[in-house]
Amino acid sequence: MEKTNNQTYHESFTKPIIKVGRITLLLAVAFSFLPPLYLWMRYDALPPLNAILTGWFLIASIYGTYYFIEPISFFPILGVAGTYMSFLSGNIGNMRLPCAAVAQEALKVEPGSEKAELVATLGIAGSIITNIIVVTIAAIAGNQLMAIFPPVVVKAFEYVLPSIFGAMFAMFAVKYPKYGGFAITVTLFLLGVVKVLPVWVLIPVCVFSTISFATFSYKKKAK
Amino acid sequence: MKEYLEVANDPILWLMSLPVVVLVAIQAIIFSKKAFKTASLVQLTKKEAKDAFRVGAISAIGPALAVFVVMLGMMAVVGAPMTWLRLSVIGAAPTELAASTMGAQAMGVEFGGEGYGVLQFANSVWAMTLNGIGWLLFVGLFAHKLEGIRDRVSGGDSKLTGEIGGAAMLGAMAYLVGGHLIAGSGRLIAALASAIAMIVLVKLSGKIPKLVEYNLGISMVIGMVAAIIYMG
Repeated sequence: MEKTNNQTYHESFTKPIIKVGRITLLLAVAFSFLPPLYLWMRYDALPPLNAILTGWFLIASIYGTYYFIEPISFFPILGVAGTYMSFLSGNIGNMRLPCAAVAQEALKVEPGSEKAELVATLGIAGSIITNIIVVTIAAIAGNQLMAIFPPVVVKAFEYVLPSIFGAMFAMFAVKYPKYGGFAITVTLFLLGVVKVLPVWVLIPVCVFSTISFATFSYKKKAK
Repeated sequence: MKEYLEVANDPILWLMSLPVVVLVAIQAIIFSKKAFKTASLVQLTKKEAKDAFRVGAISAIGPALAVFVVMLGMMAVVGAPMTWLRLSVIGAAPTELAASTMGAQAMGVEFGGEGYGVLQFANSVWAMTLNGIGWLLFVGLFAHKLEGIRDRVSGGDSKLTGEIGGAAMLGAMAYLVGGHLIAGSGRLIAALASAIAMIVLVKLSGKIPKLVEYNLGISMVIGMVAAIIYMG
């Protein structure tokens, strides 16, 4: 019974999601080239190939490792549907992860269940629609709207990231205090004492050492 | 206004940015429909499914407003259409500004400075585009393979998958908040205040379940206000 259900879920959700996910991401790759191609066609602004490649090389030398490290590191949280959505729409740490988690929390779903995956998918979808609306309004009328925000509000937004991350960490640390203690100790040790590790090493080390610690404790407890 | 900014704000460039933005929305809608269709299989009611979408949409308002504020700075240097496109997909303002800078550097000029004209702007656009497709290609080509790895690690034990997800979230958030804690001053205060607020709210929402979906928003505001008060 359990097995059949899993199979139906896979057929009904996971399989079509993978198909649509792959198509949309690869289409996004193609569509991304419209602006540079337009600049070439309309303004004859095609930089020399070696300048394009140099620019690419320079930026990829900073972010190139993120292309692999981030999807792999966030996959255990996002699952397959969440990964396609989050890496198409971006804003992962500050928006997709929190919105998925809050939706799961509000609906009190069991973590790791298929129900939890659907709730996360819907929560992320909702957050994407909000983001598109806000970004579109900002792009069209941002400068005019900015005038109506008091300066203190604008200043307060400088602190939005530490506030989101602090709250999210606390939300999960209440649930898994041992894992939380482990994660923050490892992170502060790496950031404050070791200091020399590049970011592309830090993210997976923080994520996967905590996963290993959790898996180890879970299996020890289960015995 | 600099000459390249007229090109960067060319109305047709909006049209060229539109397909990607629409695609992001379409994907979110298709995935939601699939989730709705599958809901009954896992005892998720239509009302719960709607609630999940609504909670996600509302929770995103705060973080999205923060993006709004950052956007304006980016629009001033790369124009509104490219900012609209780049901030609707993977990549954030700092990433895109770094890419623009590298694109300018590859042309031997300073980003937005002397000699930064239409051609140099085009190279910034190429750098942003090529950098962005890195994530899209990797996830587009390989995300489905990651599913298999996850199942193998948890051995199909959904309780363990849940614990792994929680641990991964803690690792990721510890990393993300860590830099702010070490930076100290207002950022440390913001992180601590919002964390304490969240702990209190989690305890409270045992009594008032309706509160849960606002926990993040309330904690965020408390963190921001605390930092502003501390900084005077």
